[in-house]
Amino acid sequence: MSAEASAAVVLAVMAAAYAAAKLFKLSTELALFAAALAGALAGGAGIPARHIAEGAFTYFDIILIFVTATLFMNFLKESGGVAFVVRAVIGRFHRRKAILFILFAFLLLVPGALTGAGSVTVLVAGGMVATVLGYMGLPRPRVAAIIFLIAGLSAAAPPVSLWAMLTAAGVNMPYVGFFLPLLVPCVLLALVTIFWLGRKAGPVDLALALRELPEPPAGMNGMRIALPFLLFLGLVAAGRIWPFDFPILGLPLIFVAAAGLTLVLSPVRLPVLAVARRTVEQLLPLIGTLTCAGILVQVMTLTGVRGLIAITVVTLPVIAVYLTLFVTLPVSEAVLMWGAAPVLGVPLVLLFNTINLNPVVALAGMSVIWPLGDAVPPTAIIGRLTADTVGMKEPYGRFLLECLGPALLIAAAGTLMVVFSKKLAFLAVF
Amino acid sequence: MIVTVLYYLITAAVAALLVANIVKSRKWQDEVLYVIVLIPFLLRLLRLK
Amino acid sequence: MTPTLRKTVIGVLGLGLLVFSGLSFRRSRSLKEPVVIGPGVTRVVRLGDYFEGVRGSTNDAHIYVLEGSEPGGTILVLGGTHPEEPAGRLAAWIMAEQAVVRAGRVFVVLSANRSAATATRLGGAYPPGFAIQTPWGEQAFRTGDRWSNPLDQWPDPEVYIHYPSRQELAYVDIRNLNRTWPGRPDGTLTERTCHAFIELIRREKVDILIDLHEAELQYPVISAIVAHQKGQDLAAMASMMISAEDGFAMGVEYSPLALHGLSHREVGDHTDAISLLLEAPEPFLDATRGRTDADLLLTGRDPFVVRAGRHGLLFEKIDEKGWPIDVRVGRHTSAILRILEVWSGDAPDRAVVIEGLPGYDEVIAKGVGAYLRDPSAADPKSVYFE
Repeated sequence: MSAEASAAVVLAVMAAAYAAAKLFKLSTELALFAAALAGALAGGAGIPARHIAEGAFTYFDIILIFVTATLFMNFLKESGGVAFVVRAVIGRFHRRKAILFILFAFLLLVPGALTGAGSVTVLVAGGMVATVLGYMGLPRPRVAAIIFLIAGLSAAAPPVSLWAMLTAAGVNMPYVGFFLPLLVPCVLLALVTIFWLGRKAGPVDLALALRELPEPPAGMNGMRIALPFLLFLGLVAAGRIWPFDFPILGLPLIFVAAAGLTLVLSPVRLPVLAVARRTVEQLLPLIGTLTCAGILVQVMTLTGVRGLIAITVVTLPVIAVYLTLFVTLPVSEAVLMWGAAPVLGVPLVLLFNTINLNPVVALAGMSVIWPLGDAVPPTAIIGRLTADTVGMKEPYGRFLLECLGPALLIAAAGTLMVVFSKKLAFLAVF
Repeated sequence: MIVTVLYYLITAAVAALLVANIVKSRKWQDEVLYVIVLIPFLLRLLRLK
Repeated sequence: MTPTLRKTVIGVLGLGLLVFSGLSFRRSRSLKEPVVIGPGVTRVVRLGDYFEGVRGSTNDAHIYVLEGSEPGGTILVLGGTHPEEPAGRLAAWIMAEQAVVRAGRVFVVLSANRSAATATRLGGAYPPGFAIQTPWGEQAFRTGDRWSNPLDQWPDPEVYIHYPSRQELAYVDIRNLNRTWPGRPDGTLTERTCHAFIELIRREKVDILIDLHEAELQYPVISAIVAHQKGQDLAAMASMMISAEDGFAMGVEYSPLALHGLSHREVGDHTDAISLLLEAPEPFLDATRGRTDADLLLTGRDPFVVRAGRHGLLFEKIDEKGWPIDVRVGRHTSAILRILEVWSGDAPDRAVVIEGLPGYDEVIAKGVGAYLRDPSAADPKSVYFE
């Protein structure tokens, strides 16, 4: 059997195992794991313990970020901080929709831009923004769509865009010149998204909101909330400003520090252990997906399935590559997450390089499209996280439908950046 | 160096939470998933990977 | 099934996975790769002798010193900057086991980033190791990775800011030995390792650094000598001689001024040495590669990469014969020999003259394994372990 045929057979077995697992009502995470096991068996690797464990490790550092960031947010919520902030914001700006929207767009862009993870945006700012948007009369699926889409753009936004960084690293290109090509589309598209999806929002019903929102505990004030965030921003900034004098802390430790300070400053005593256990329970679907997706990628690489997918995509006619970017990038993201950068990003950028496009702008364009895949099954990792954070009870499909319009616009903008990357090369200055 | 030690402590704490949740869980699917997620944590704590 | 029994069964299955994978990781991390030093090695020192900050660490590499009876210049050959590029390590290996220096001095390192040699890439499905056939049996090697093992350097920052240029790079590259030059004494293990090599280069008055690498065929800088501007003429002359005398093409690429952290840029900028980096083709690293195993690592045969070549996506040719390890190692050894030939002609008072190192034709004819010595038949005092 040719290499193509045997990899195709393994891919088919994996898809069948995934479908069968779903048929038997297995969770998405376990279905991914089942697909990986079936792929390894079909590929003649048996049950490769080493590869399973190594694959499970792929997103270990990102899992630590998820757990510690969510812990920080849950402490803040338990201490009454979230309710306090929401009350303050709507008390001040309840009549000014445009100001609120611009404020929210930037509030949502900053955490992901700094950390490279849309999940951090959702976890840090998503809950608060969602509550206020809810009081403006927007249905929850639409609120979730706003937060998800801007969270995706925040992940792509500079300074830290993991897709661009990992792909650039894969082709040995310095991560330089990306600031404007990433910043301009991300900011513009974030504003368009919130004004588009929020066009039917009314002013906040102040009386209702203040009646329904939980009362923050006595003694809660702005300082108690601001200080942990300032500590977080301060530690991140210190690492940037004095990279050679300040120890490398890494995001998980910075989040733990912020969580610790929240705990100390909380006006009420928090049930630390119970909150921590609930946090892990709440995150299980997400960290489980990351772990199992890592195992799947490893098995796909081992058996040649990854190569089959990559070679198939990059040998399409160039026009077809352009026209399918809006499908291939989100789908690769949906299955591989950041693993999509080495699998698809690297061959695509090298392909664009050989046909004389500007690789920096083209990669920036691709980076804007990639995060859209985070709402798409099988993993749908940030999409599900957003739905959870917003407290959406409606079917997941309604949320996807709300995303559709702006998502198409984002995909079109990204694709145009790739196609006209040479004309946009002036953006790639620093 | 101190930071690295703190990371092992964070890893140990999350691993302990995962184990506690396995003990508490009532759904077999969740238990399997917890065990899969736990493996990298234990491999790192044992300094094997 | 009672919940307790169910949890026990699931736990035991998990434990099985943990034990089997853990044993495999431990085996490859603790694998001892033997080096039988050849007649040319006059002493073996350690990287920690040049900088205390790496002494006793995973990266306290052996440095095999070959000294000639006649005075001359000094070169430093680095294998294993990226251990997942085995031709670089193996070329350095046979240099330590076979070469004899007539004039000048040669410092050879087989595991420049030993920490990276003890890991394999997450998601990469690398085989734990590979074996080279020799006349006396097999010699086992670790596959290794591009980045230092997180067990030796953890955590990573959210973005890596290179010292001293402040250029921003992907966070993982803070563990990439070829992104941390010139290093710094109080930095991470990888940065300290680079700093130690810079100390060696300065103290030993190294004239030329040759950093041995391999690259995916889809990467534009391949089958080339990447040269710092100080070494452009040297590289160009060597490239011409290789094409004319050795029968394979090796281009010259100039080290970009704005791309920081790489040996071909920073060693030239921060020391008196000329820095050169050699790239050989390694289809195992291509993103479009198919089934990933030790066979691909050694034969370089891959139908998907061939297909990418047919579509004009590659910067080096490839056919069904692939890129066998012997060819890749031979390219490195021949390139080293030609560089030294040109150098010794241009700077006779700093000449480095080597004998006994097999060139391209010889390595291909006999295979790399023919140049590896049998540790069981050697005097134990001449056996070192990487």
